[in-house]
Amino acid sequence: MDDSASQLKKFQKELSSGTVSLVLLAVLGKSQQPMYGYQIAKSLEEMGEGVLAGKQSALYPVLRNLEAAGLLASEVEPSVSGPPRRYYRITGQGRDMLREWIAAWNATRDSVDQVLQGGV
Amino acid sequence: MSAPRTIVEYLDQLRTALRGADPALIQDALYDAEEHLRAELAEQPDRSEAQMLEHVVGSYGAPDEVADIYRDQEIKIQRVIRPPPPPKRRSLPGRFFGVAADPRAYTALFYMLLSMTTGIFYFTWAVTGLSLSAGLSVLIIGLPFIILFFGSVRVLSLVEGRLVETMLGMRMPRRPIYPHQDMTLMQRIGRMFTDVHTWTALCYMLLMLPLGIVYFTVAVTLLSVSAALIATPLAMAFQRDWFDGLYVNHQIMVDWGFGAHQPGWGDVLAMFVVGILLVFATLHLARAMGRMHGHIAKHMLVPRALA
Repeated sequence: MDDSASQLKKFQKELSSGTVSLVLLAVLGKSQQPMYGYQIAKSLEEMGEGVLAGKQSALYPVLRNLEAAGLLASEVEPSVSGPPRRYYRITGQGRDMLREWIAAWNATRDSVDQVLQGGV
Repeated sequence: MSAPRTIVEYLDQLRTALRGADPALIQDALYDAEEHLRAELAEQPDRSEAQMLEHVVGSYGAPDEVADIYRDQEIKIQRVIRPPPPPKRRSLPGRFFGVAADPRAYTALFYMLLSMTTGIFYFTWAVTGLSLSAGLSVLIIGLPFIILFFGSVRVLSLVEGRLVETMLGMRMPRRPIYPHQDMTLMQRIGRMFTDVHTWTALCYMLLMLPLGIVYFTVAVTLLSVSAALIATPLAMAFQRDWFDGLYVNHQIMVDWGFGAHQPGWGDVLAMFVVGILLVFATLHLARAMGRMHGHIAKHMLVPRALA
């Protein structure tokens, strides 16, 4: 049982490795105001296990990665209750990229669905 | 490993789990974890730190899981963001001329040209700050000034880290060291001065002036000499008599070791070839110097305590 569980875990990890970037970009693209890491993690948590199979710590390197690629911008702001927070928002380049990624995602999902439903 | 009961314990365990990884990666990982944990703690103030951590190990990940994620991510990020490595060339000429296809060589060359400007700025900043700190220390505004100055050194070391990472390809921290929450203001200030990292960063800023001058001079000299050599056929084609009027006795002599003679097309073409070779040699030198400087920057700007 352990073996198949770890195999499933690995599969989930592989699946999420590409989609996490898309999901993060989409969350920030939809959001009206900039969000910080913890806030994003919590909002994904509410959506359930599927989106983010791994641990929330995996979000931060991806956020940083997206920022380094110019798709997100960030700034640190002090907060009233806790530590200073790094707020992320999507850039123009990020929006363009998001559109392309969504198209790629839709194409992939459609064709995978078709295969799974025995359409081939 | 026992379950962490405080944030400090959690971070210690994470640091241990990441031992041996890139110090810059460790700094980023610790910063992220601390930000997340403190946010979690602030979100539900009625929960104790131990309870919060128990929950976090499930959602954010246990220290060793987090360490694995960061190690894993680092490889992927490098694959995505870094320019693809140029194809390996086996032959000697292939290796020599292949440098032209390596973007790192050009960015390193640009860094060499830029380093004099940044070097002068860092040096001036450090010397002015140090002497003003010493001079003002007898006055009441001395202490705030010193604190401000040391703070600026940390910011500048982070900025230089970004420059070094983009241009020289050495992984540097992207996040500052997380300020210690449980220290009083005076303790934090005291730590600034006892931290070896602050002093090595300051030394780096001083060192950047001589280094910058050397880098700039080497780069400009090599580039202009090779440009001049490459341009000799043009000069020959357009204005032959330039070659006659260059020296006091109205003659320019070339001696390849077989006796002196007036320069002809053969000599000019030889110079052209030497010039081209020199350009490639310069790119090799820039890349090597960039690599060397990346190591210097990493040793002096990234806190050792993290490694």
